[in-house]
Amino acid sequence: MSPELAASLIHFFGMVLLIASFWILASSRIGTCIRAYATHSFLLALITAVIAVTNHVEHLLVPAILTLILKTIVIPQVFFRIIRRLGIRKEVESCFNIPFSLLLAVLLVFISFYVTGDGKILKPVAFSEFIPLAVSTVFFGMLMMTTRKKAISQVLGLLLIENGLFLMAVTMTFGMPLLVEMGIFFDVLVAAMIMGIFVFKIRDAFESIDADDMTVLKG
Amino acid sequence: MTIDRVLWMPLIFAFLCLIPCPKRMTRLTFTTGAVLSAIGAWLFVFGVYWSPRVFAFSGNLMMDSLSAVFVLLITSVGMLSAVYAGGYLFKEGDSSISSLRLRRYAFFFHLFLFTMLLTVFSNNLGIMWIAIEGTTLASAFLVNVDDKKSSIEAAWKYLILCSVGIALALFGIILVYYSAIAQVSAGENVFLLNWTFLLSRAGQLDPQIIRLAFIFILVGYGTKAGLAPFHSWLPDAHSQAPAPVSALLSGVLLSCATLGILRFHILTTAATGSAFSGTLLILFGVLSVAVATPFILEQKDYKRLLAYSSVEHMGLAAVGLGFGGAFGAYAAILHIVNHAFTKSMLFFSCGHLLYLFKTKEIGKIKGIFLENPFLGIIFFLGVLAIAGMPPFSIFVSEFLILSAGFLAGKFIPCVFLLVLLALIFIGFLRHANGMTFGASEESPASEKSFLMDSVLDIGLIVIFVMGFYIPGPFQKLLLEAGRVAGGVIV
Repeated sequence: MSPELAASLIHFFGMVLLIASFWILASSRIGTCIRAYATHSFLLALITAVIAVTNHVEHLLVPAILTLILKTIVIPQVFFRIIRRLGIRKEVESCFNIPFSLLLAVLLVFISFYVTGDGKILKPVAFSEFIPLAVSTVFFGMLMMTTRKKAISQVLGLLLIENGLFLMAVTMTFGMPLLVEMGIFFDVLVAAMIMGIFVFKIRDAFESIDADDMTVLKG
Repeated sequence: MTIDRVLWMPLIFAFLCLIPCPKRMTRLTFTTGAVLSAIGAWLFVFGVYWSPRVFAFSGNLMMDSLSAVFVLLITSVGMLSAVYAGGYLFKEGDSSISSLRLRRYAFFFHLFLFTMLLTVFSNNLGIMWIAIEGTTLASAFLVNVDDKKSSIEAAWKYLILCSVGIALALFGIILVYYSAIAQVSAGENVFLLNWTFLLSRAGQLDPQIIRLAFIFILVGYGTKAGLAPFHSWLPDAHSQAPAPVSALLSGVLLSCATLGILRFHILTTAATGSAFSGTLLILFGVLSVAVATPFILEQKDYKRLLAYSSVEHMGLAAVGLGFGGAFGAYAAILHIVNHAFTKSMLFFSCGHLLYLFKTKEIGKIKGIFLENPFLGIIFFLGVLAIAGMPPFSIFVSEFLILSAGFLAGKFIPCVFLLVLLALIFIGFLRHANGMTFGASEESPASEKSFLMDSVLDIGLIVIFVMGFYIPGPFQKLLLEAGRVAGGVIV
């Protein structure tokens, strides 16, 4: 692959990645949210693979493949199964309406470009454009966790934060050492499973999965 | 014994506990497992403690005097807690908890011990992160044993808040890795995240990035360590978990997360050559004590009371680490040890209280002393100890922390802490007074369990003796750990 082709490919994927993160925030159905998350992870895997090939860091292909398998296929499938069993058809409930969260998201993208764009502290090894993208993905995840009411959307927010950090690691350092990367994947997978189990428990105990209903403990 | 054997023990027993068999057998495997792991770990630690660092797993795991202290802490409190849980949850003829649930509980309990041991043994900072996230995942099911509304809520908050916190810590680790990767040639890649390697090259790391990384680590692991203002999961999880689990969470889990912060604190101090991380630790430590004070004064639930006191004591330990030097660090580590034993003993006595009086409300319990003199004495002495009354051990370490502060010339935080500690003392005394003395309104159920009572006895003896005598080898270990934490030994 010629460097020019790789660079434009990477930039294209980066753009689509940003669009996918907006899609997660913009969709009003949880099913679409999960699909958007799968797309986001798929692009993450592609970006990782292209960086691995163009920079000859072969060990980076392993996390790329793992991202493809776990985050694009396994975790979304688990989530689809959960919402099917819970019988969720309702819309995503948010403290803000969707246009306003999108507006906030645009603001967050600006902030992340402003904070990291000058390249003074962080000089990445690969493509500096991805640092603000990674930071804004983390911000989006946090936005989702704080404003969404459904427990399952909060888990999606957490996974989105994880995706952002993964992108950060890949662009800044060509990924963490393989052993650590595998451990992180394992933890994320187990965390998603355990939270999935807890979503069921919440439904059984509270008869809804609105995290807002959980107000027993105070003081 | 070697590091891997110490690690394998709880893992093997975790899976042994899963074997379907009568309750009594599960209980036997569960308790002996914890006791054997503890004995194994002690033999290992006191077999090698004079050699500065022991490595395993190609340098990814390491034990120095600092982690040795924490290994002793985890296994000892783990053992006490398992013995107590043997009587607490596995009561004969109690069918409220199914046998499957008990096996799962025993499994996660040992898994939790394993992840905490892995945390303190990690030399590789990435593995330490994985292990700390592992502690959250393993203990989420321990917090929620009975599937009640409140327990589920507590477990959910715990999972979500700690996972987000930990995600921020991962960002800090990426930054550290990034600053290391810029300094070395390609061949050395393998060791880049090893704490010992980073510390030996601390002078070459970019101070600006290390500072940024420390902030993320402090927020991330600070969430797990219960530092204010990231502590909001802590009172919920501690109050909803069964007593033996609360003891573990408060006594050792918070300490493990503090060790995570401490490792980065040592690294940051070495890399930046400034008191940047120390100042931040003092700031968040004092804030934690200040935030905990009003909640302790006005608390209505005795388990939450103890949980807020954990926030306070972790804050004090952070302040001690922040004052720095071998003296401040020694005082902080001693404080962590003393807090672990005192607090776990108090949580055990709360298990007794909950069983006898069937309520968690402070206002509804009166006259423990008349009803059950043994429990009354233990509980009241325990509260005096945690509030910082001499001759108990917490008083000694609090005194040492404050002296370290005055020696370092940090008068304002010290005076502020003294005022807060006096307030907390009054709060504790008021609550304990009402609960222990006076006449009881209703006649509570009474049941004796020899093992559970002896756990309380052992706890009381430990905190009393540690107040004026620390056994020679252990004292040597603590001093050594203080020197590592104070940045004297590199």
